[in-house]
Amino acid sequence: MRLVSRLLRKNTSPARVIGFVLSNFIGLAIITGGLQFFQDSKSLWSSDDSFVKTDFLVINKKVTSSNTWGDSDTGFSQEEIADIKGQPWVRDVGEFAATDYRVWASVAQGGKGMSTMLFFESIPDAFVDVAGSDWHFSPEDDVVPVIISKDYLTLYNFGFAGSAGLPQMSESIMSGIPLQLTLTSDDGSRCERRIGRVVGFSNRLNTILVPQSFMDWSNRLLGNGASRKASRLIVDVSSPGDVAITDYLDSHGLEVAGDKSNSSASFLLKLVIGIVLAVGCVITVLSFFILLLSMSLLMEKNRDKLHSLLMLGFPSSEVAAPYIRIVVISSLAAFVLAVAGCSMLRIYYLKALQGLGADVGGWWFGPSAALVITFIVMAFNVVSVKRKVRGAWRL
Amino acid sequence: MKIETIHLSGMLPKVFLSESIPDSDVWRSELTFERGKFYLVEAASGGGKSSLCSYIFGARIDYDGTLRFGTVDASTLGMDQWQELRRRNIAYLPQELSLFPELTALQNIKLKNSLTGWKTDAEIEEWLRMLGIEARRDYPVGKMSIGQQQRVGIIRALCQPFDFMLLDEPVSHLDGGNNRIAASIIVEEARRQGAGIISTSVGNPLLIDEYIKLKL
Repeated sequence: MRLVSRLLRKNTSPARVIGFVLSNFIGLAIITGGLQFFQDSKSLWSSDDSFVKTDFLVINKKVTSSNTWGDSDTGFSQEEIADIKGQPWVRDVGEFAATDYRVWASVAQGGKGMSTMLFFESIPDAFVDVAGSDWHFSPEDDVVPVIISKDYLTLYNFGFAGSAGLPQMSESIMSGIPLQLTLTSDDGSRCERRIGRVVGFSNRLNTILVPQSFMDWSNRLLGNGASRKASRLIVDVSSPGDVAITDYLDSHGLEVAGDKSNSSASFLLKLVIGIVLAVGCVITVLSFFILLLSMSLLMEKNRDKLHSLLMLGFPSSEVAAPYIRIVVISSLAAFVLAVAGCSMLRIYYLKALQGLGADVGGWWFGPSAALVITFIVMAFNVVSVKRKVRGAWRL
Repeated sequence: MKIETIHLSGMLPKVFLSESIPDSDVWRSELTFERGKFYLVEAASGGGKSSLCSYIFGARIDYDGTLRFGTVDASTLGMDQWQELRRRNIAYLPQELSLFPELTALQNIKLKNSLTGWKTDAEIEEWLRMLGIEARRDYPVGKMSIGQQQRVGIIRALCQPFDFMLLDEPVSHLDGGNNRIAASIIVEEARRQGAGIISTSVGNPLLIDEYIKLKL
């Protein structure tokens, strides 16, 4: 069949095919690189704090002197919560619940004992990202899972331990130490004992967190029954960088607790990668049209030959084959170039990312996306070639 | 599967629909071409003989009426079926020949023969010699005279099995001697396969003795 391809490849413009390969390469490389970078850097801004999602903000009212000396408090009324819920940038709002009794925690370690008063807070489980069964409590359980703020550990290790002659503790050692918890009602009439186990350290929750189920159970058992207003709210926002959020918080005298720059950074990163991907997509779509148009032009120029070959009885698949070969080879060439280019780029940025402490993703993420796009581009062009052959069947 | 008959029923090119057509053995009639018989369709130019060939070969469908191969309505055939029919059942030499001018005479013939694998190189060489164009076998067809091209076209058309051979003015540019040689080769091939021949002419027919003559 060499004669057939020789006939049908006549008028092929290498410049147009190379133009397609180059532009498709650029588009694919941008998409592959963008997606791969997104995947590789994700751990930097998301797994940083695996207990709450980055789109969550913890807000509270500013504490002023009137809160200290006067009768106003920093609790949120149901109307205020409803108002926040009604904002367009809010997806969901959860209330912080506090203990309505006293908590005494003690640690026995190498003969040295230490005990302190403590408090607990809880938020609805939907806002906490801890793998499955770890974040659960039922009254029969002896052990209560606890998430504490990383800042507390830092305060202990560098502020307190040294001056008090106590050993410093890593996160894993801390997690292994059972906390003897004594829960006493305000009037001292009722008492419960449980063991607390630290299951995580959070950068973004400045509190000591227990499961909602534990909070409900213990407050029912030990509390005095008075309902208390939530003093802090956790808010699931749709776009953390939105200025409307800052405006609203400012005008209502609210402040965001914890590190909010992280969520803005992740929002900005997503935005930038989104723009990069959009540019890559536009270039890929344009390159797709370059191939589509150049194949159409080529087949239009060779239409009489196509017709003559079909008149000789050549199967349509055989007549389409030389063109499909051009489509497949040039698409795969662009794909291979794009993946090779991105792999080289990745070698450079990986060092920087790992220097920042990123837990990089799999190398296949970008390339598989590029492969899918390549197959889509190929499939559309193959279909178009086949239609053109059919079109040349009857003049 | 062999095609035993080609049946035309009330067939008329659509361009003729609004015109009054003169007496015709083909248009607007019941006509059956039978395998093994040789037909000469004579017409003045513009009578629609090339259209007739194109309709039977499936290259055009702008006709009124029905065309059947045996009992199969041609309008029900799909592209792949037509392509198979063109490789196995119907050979066609169009008036414009449709040779590839950039290929040599031999390449044009072998392009077809490589598709069907029907003839040996020796048989092809023998036909080239008989028709007096073996010296031109490696010439680009585009540089040959029409008469020489017609002979290349005839050999190419013979490089396949067929039940019917459609020849649209196959020898219009051939002298009497080459006409007879071409006719004898075609008739021999047709006889061997028990095939029919449908040849058209505006005045210089392929010289076969036992024609059934039809007026278009």
